[in-house]
Amino acid sequence: MDWSVIGKTILGGALALATTSASAHQLAVFASVDCETVTVEAKFSNGKVAIEGDVRVLDGNNSLLQTLQLGTDGKATLPLSSVDHSAGLVIEVDTGSHENYWIITPEDIARKCGS
Amino acid sequence: MRKLTVFNPICLALAMLVSWVSAIQVLATERPLVIAVNYPLQYFAQRLLLTEADVMLPVPEDADPSFWRPTIADISTIQSADLIMLNGAGFASWVDRVSLPRSKLVNTSAAIKDQFIVTQSITHSHGDGGEHSHEGLASYVWLDPSLAIAQAKVIANTAKKKGLGSASDIDERLSDLIADMESVDEKANIALGNSQNTSLIATHPRYQYFARRYGLSIRSLEWEAGETPTASQLQEMATLAAGTGAQILIWEAAPPDDAIAKVAELGLQSVVFPPMAHKPDQGDFPEAFADAIEKLAAAVNAAK
Repeated sequence: MDWSVIGKTILGGALALATTSASAHQLAVFASVDCETVTVEAKFSNGKVAIEGDVRVLDGNNSLLQTLQLGTDGKATLPLSSVDHSAGLVIEVDTGSHENYWIITPEDIARKCGS
Repeated sequence: MRKLTVFNPICLALAMLVSWVSAIQVLATERPLVIAVNYPLQYFAQRLLLTEADVMLPVPEDADPSFWRPTIADISTIQSADLIMLNGAGFASWVDRVSLPRSKLVNTSAAIKDQFIVTQSITHSHGDGGEHSHEGLASYVWLDPSLAIAQAKVIANTAKKKGLGSASDIDERLSDLIADMESVDEKANIALGNSQNTSLIATHPRYQYFARRYGLSIRSLEWEAGETPTASQLQEMATLAAGTGAQILIWEAAPPDDAIAKVAELGLQSVVFPPMAHKPDQGDFPEAFADAIEKLAAAVNAAK
């Protein structure tokens, strides 16, 4: 199962669709996990990187765990060890004018950790 | 020892009963899980697979399946499914916000994307980048029965490929389903045959494919489903009605009685036509569709 590329494919698909679909100028958020770190990427559907914005990290009960800031490359990183990720994580990105989210399940994390 | 000889058969019987019940439970939970992002896809899959799979629409009844935000637990369940049926055309925004196993995904409208309707863009400005537009696709493709049939065929083919049921059974059920949908389509063609170019207003932009299929002109508002419109919303509707000559307002959900009365005061009849992203309150897909057609045709005839 090609899970590793699926998220990026979906992001790419979402961006591609955005030119013809319901999000011609929306914020696309993608979060990948490598067992140690969550990397969050945020781009607008016109291709521009979101250079400012809050990255909220929530747990399975929708409780806020941490708030990070997007870097100038449109990315933010979160060490997995810094949060309780046992019930998965929800990553919300809020640029002030646009918001979107990405959901990471416990199974997503487990797959990346070889279990 | 005598006690044991009496007790043992009872224990054995109990043990067999427990293991039998457990086996049934295991069998019950081992049916393939099929996820649908809306009711029409769920209905088609249920018709095609009957008891051979558990077909689940994970969206709560009070949430709009187009814009539902799942929980982590919802996505865990969806990721574990054997088949995930997408509507395509931008429906169900959550599918672009999670990792889904590609091998389990099927886009039921991929083969009909040349028939998608591009919706009117909305130009506005905020924050970054100044004025811009949000152009989109109409996503309620199933309200054109010919497109709904195309989606059902995709589900049938995928179910057969994945071995979710007997191919001959699925083919037979697909034929029945297509017959039902064609019957509804024919009824609609007859009932609305004299309604072409009749101007209608809908409380929400849901009916683009339906309008195209039957030659109707439907302009849309952006009202919340089932809520009483505000004075300014009513004024907007009245202005639209004056400009288009529309005498009928299509509601996607039954509104409060006072809302119907207010609309009637402005000269428009109300017709409730559930767009069926969720299961309608009464009947299944073809039944609810046929019922809505009948009511709409009656209103059109009354308006003439």
